[in-house]
Parts: sequence; C-alpha cells; structure tokens
Amino acid sequence: MDRALPWGALLAALLAAPQSAAAAGDRFNLTEVAPGNFVHLGRQLALDAPGHDDIANIGFVVGQRCVAVIDTGGSTRTGRALLGAIGQHTKKPICYVINTHVHVDHVLGNAVFVKDSVQFVGHEALPAALDRSRSLFLQSYSDDLDAPASGAQIVGPRIKVAADRDLELDLGARRLRLRAWPRAHTDCDLTVYDESTDTLWTGDLLFVRRTPAIDGSVKGWLSVLDELANLRPKHIVPGHGDVSRHLVQSIAPERHYFEALIANVRADLAQGKPLQEAIATADTSVSKDWLLWDVTHPHNVARVYQELEWE
Amino acid sequence: MNRRTVPLLVLLASPALSAADTQFPSTGAWQFLRPQLYGARDIGEVGDQLMSIEAPASTPDPSATPIVLRFGPDLSGRVRQIRVIIDNNPSPVVTTMNLTRGVPVDEIDLRVRIDRFTSVRAIAETDDGHLEMRSTWVNASGGCSAPPGATQGGTLGEIRFRPTGERAMQISIRHPNNSGFQIDPRTGDSIPPHYISHIRLLAGGKAVMEADTGISFSENPTLRIGTSQPLGSPLTFEATDEPTQEHFSATWKSGADTSTR
Repeated sequence: MDRALPWGALLAALLAAPQSAAAAGDRFNLTEVAPGNFVHLGRQLALDAPGHDDIANIGFVVGQRCVAVIDTGGSTRTGRALLGAIGQHTKKPICYVINTHVHVDHVLGNAVFVKDSVQFVGHEALPAALDRSRSLFLQSYSDDLDAPASGAQIVGPRIKVAADRDLELDLGARRLRLRAWPRAHTDCDLTVYDESTDTLWTGDLLFVRRTPAIDGSVKGWLSVLDELANLRPKHIVPGHGDVSRHLVQSIAPERHYFEALIANVRADLAQGKPLQEAIATADTSVSKDWLLWDVTHPHNVARVYQELEWE
Repeated sequence: MNRRTVPLLVLLASPALSAADTQFPSTGAWQFLRPQLYGARDIGEVGDQLMSIEAPASTPDPSATPIVLRFGPDLSGRVRQIRVIIDNNPSPVVTTMNLTRGVPVDEIDLRVRIDRFTSVRAIAETDDGHLEMRSTWVNASGGCSAPPGATQGGTLGEIRFRPTGERAMQISIRHPNNSGFQIDPRTGDSIPPHYISHIRLLAGGKAVMEADTGISFSENPTLRIGTSQPLGSPLTFEATDEPTQEHFSATWKSGADTSTR
C-alpha cells in the first residue's frame, strides 16, 4: 500500500497547515478563512502607489438568507471585482454592506453595491467622517470612482451602530455581531463578529506587518486591543495583512509599537522637545520591518505628541 | 553688492532661476493679499542667515503642521512685525505678530492647519521699515476640516508653559480653535467657529509679543518662542476667545510652574 502513503502525508500536511484557509478559486483570489467567511487580501502598498485601490482586506459572509459584504475596497473597480466574485460563490442576494471605518481603501467601492435591497451599515460617527472626507476623496481619488466622479458615489450608512450597544444582523442561520468602538484607529471603527464560526473581522484595529496609522487615539486603541484580546476568536481577519488564528499573538507587535511610541513621546515632552524635533528624531525600539514605516511613523509621532502633551 | 541686483544675476543662471521660483511661489491668494496688506512696497528676499522658514514638505499631520521661523543675529531684535500666510487656506493670514524692539527673538514656532497643497510664507517688517519674505511649500490635505483630536475637552482656556532650557518656551492653550469647517461626528452638524483671536506675551511685566491669531492655528493653539538671551521672569500669557471675548491668562515663574486659568 505504498501508494496510500503520499495521500496520507498530504492529508496530514493539510490538517497541520497553520490556516484552515483555502483558496476559493475565483477571479478575485478570495480565501474561505472559515465556513462562509470569504476574504480578499489587499496588497501592502502605500495610499498613493499604483495599485493603491486594492490594499485593504475586504470580503463577505454568507448566511442562509443573504450575504453581508465587509468593506468594498479603494475603488469602484475593486468593488466590482468583489461583487463579481461573490456571484461565483453564491446566488444569495446581498442584504448588507458593512464599512469598518471611513478610510478610502475600505469605502470607495460602496457605490457598486447600491440597490434597494441592500442596506449600508457603519459606526454612528461614520456619516460625519464621510462628510468631511468627501471633498478630499474627490480631489485625490477621483480616478478610483466611476466617471464622472461624484460625491454621491461615496455612500454612507443607513443603519448606524451606536457606541454603547452591539448590533446584530441576521443573515439567516448566521448572526453577525457589530461593535462600534471608541476613538482608536479612527473615530468610527467597527468590528464584525460571526458567531457561528467564531470569526472576527477587526477592520483596521489590527494591522499585520503594515505600520498601524493612528488617526484616533493611541491610548484609546490600546484599551480596544485589551477588549479584543478578551474575545478569543478562532479566526481573525485583520484590516491589512495575513489572517490569523491567534489574536493575542497578532496583536502583540501593534501593542509593543504603541507602548514604545508612548514612552518615547513622553520622554520628548519631558525634555521640552518641540513637535518638529519629536517628529524628526523620535524612534522606537521596535524594528523597522513594519511596512510603510517612513510615511506612517512620523504621522503617528505627531498624533501621539498632541494626545500626550495635555496629560 | 546692492540687494536689488541679485534677482537680475539670478535670472542669468537657469538652475538658480528654478531655485528663485521655489523661493517665491505665487498663488492667487498671495497676489490678492499682497496689495491689501503691503500696497506697492518692495518685499525683499533674504538668505537663511537672516531669516528662514521651515515646514515639512509633506506634513505628517495636516491639522497640526509645525512651522519654524528663525531669525539670524542680524535680524534678531530688529523685527517689529512678522506675518505668516498660508496661501491656499480658507483663512490665509495665520497671524500678524508684533514684536517688541530689542527683544532678541531668534525662533518662533507655530502649529497650523493646512488645507491643501500650498505655499507658506513669512513676511518680516524690520525696525527700519524693510519688508523681507521667505516661503516654502507644504503638501497636505484636509487640515481645516479634520475632526477634533484625541485631547478634546479638558478645561477651556487652560494654559501650559513648557520650557526648553532658559532660551525657549512653548506655550499652549487648551481650546478647540474650531475652524468653522468641521463637522460634529455625533450629530453631523457643522461646528461653528470658536477660536483664539488675540494673544499677548509679557516678560517681567513688559510686552514681548502681541498677535492677532485665527482659525489656521491648530486645536490647542501652541506657540514656541526662542530667544538668544533668557526672557525675563515672570512670563504672562494672555489670550482672547472669539466669539465670547473671554480672556484667559496665566503666569509662569522660573523654578515654579504656575499654570492658572
């Protein structure tokens, strides 16, 4: 029975693989990270690089009744690619489009999904965040919208998730629990938790390998990480970077970076270092193998400096 | 050499011409403001050794971009007014600052909102009535409509002094300095303008600086002033709120930080 051996070895290798993720064999390279949870991994590129419209992790969850899309990518082109791929996996209709926060790479594909039967869902602070971003999006990312680019394509949520109460969405024999967080990565961060498979879509509260950008509050973000760690999900889909099965482990580099950043900026403030010097010199013990460090780290220093100077 | 001959010489050398272009970027706002603020008066160019302006070419935070003005020994103490202009901001004049003659100010740092790609310029008027300008470019977007930061709240008008040695003092006032272009994330309503319109700094009872300020200052307006000689003690900082006209003031004595409202 020597022919059985390779098959057994292959099966063992499959079972031992760190991810249960399997390529789903569609045109958009979706991976089924957990039953019914499909994710497309964005590329780790800068916001102004060619291909910048496909840098975030986006995907969808299929219930018995309908489908919920989680983020739509950084262009209508990317949104359309996702929409096409959904059709390759299920004939069920899309009933919800959930945006995890306001950033371009997560929302610019929204317009593609507009339909009477589709409801858009987001943090209660998302509409205001979109309002103030609309002109910037049109100015800097008009090529990522359908021509002629218009503010109306930047679609906001009809269903708003309040910060103090989780919202449940029923997809038919599958419930998604949505939580709106206090200020952390942005002021409108939302996570999606699929109870039936124990899968947590973190949005940009978790960056894997890509330098996390602080637009909300570093202290707020650290406390959100504490709360996320308590959830102990089996599958984690970060906003950027590879999916994982160990939340605490995946969070560790982010936490380490934030703590080092805070310690450094506090020391700068104690020495009376002005903002521009803190930006120019601040570094952390964290190694620079974070991607896009040169762009994102100075931004973070500026934000954290302002957050800590009134302590 | 007569200063006025310099531009002519510069015109003859093309690499220097492009340098001259970046030194004096022209945009609509400045063309409009120049006659309003300075009429037909000549505005000279000075070298870095007399005056310089620094800002990040691409700002890490459009809602709080550091701008650093430096005066060399020949200009320090001789500037009676300094005006900072962000050409492409909704309210281009950041501040008009009057300095007391003889106070050896060699550095002024501001923290400003920058709405989009723009030139940022500083025009100094010297005690003998000359005007000198320096400028730089900053790439940014959305600084004027950015939401309030992580530190919003606290005691309105609280003033903090943060010295660096004896020759530099950073003064910050806790204030939203709302631009009028921001939106409340909870209600979706626009936030009305509410800002610091005037500031004054006294050292040892004598005025050092007095300035009109506005919505191009960042949230929690911050000023840092460096001098070649220590400023006298105590330092008193005063600020006026717009639209309430409420006054905030605080005094700092060397050795003891007495930040009061």
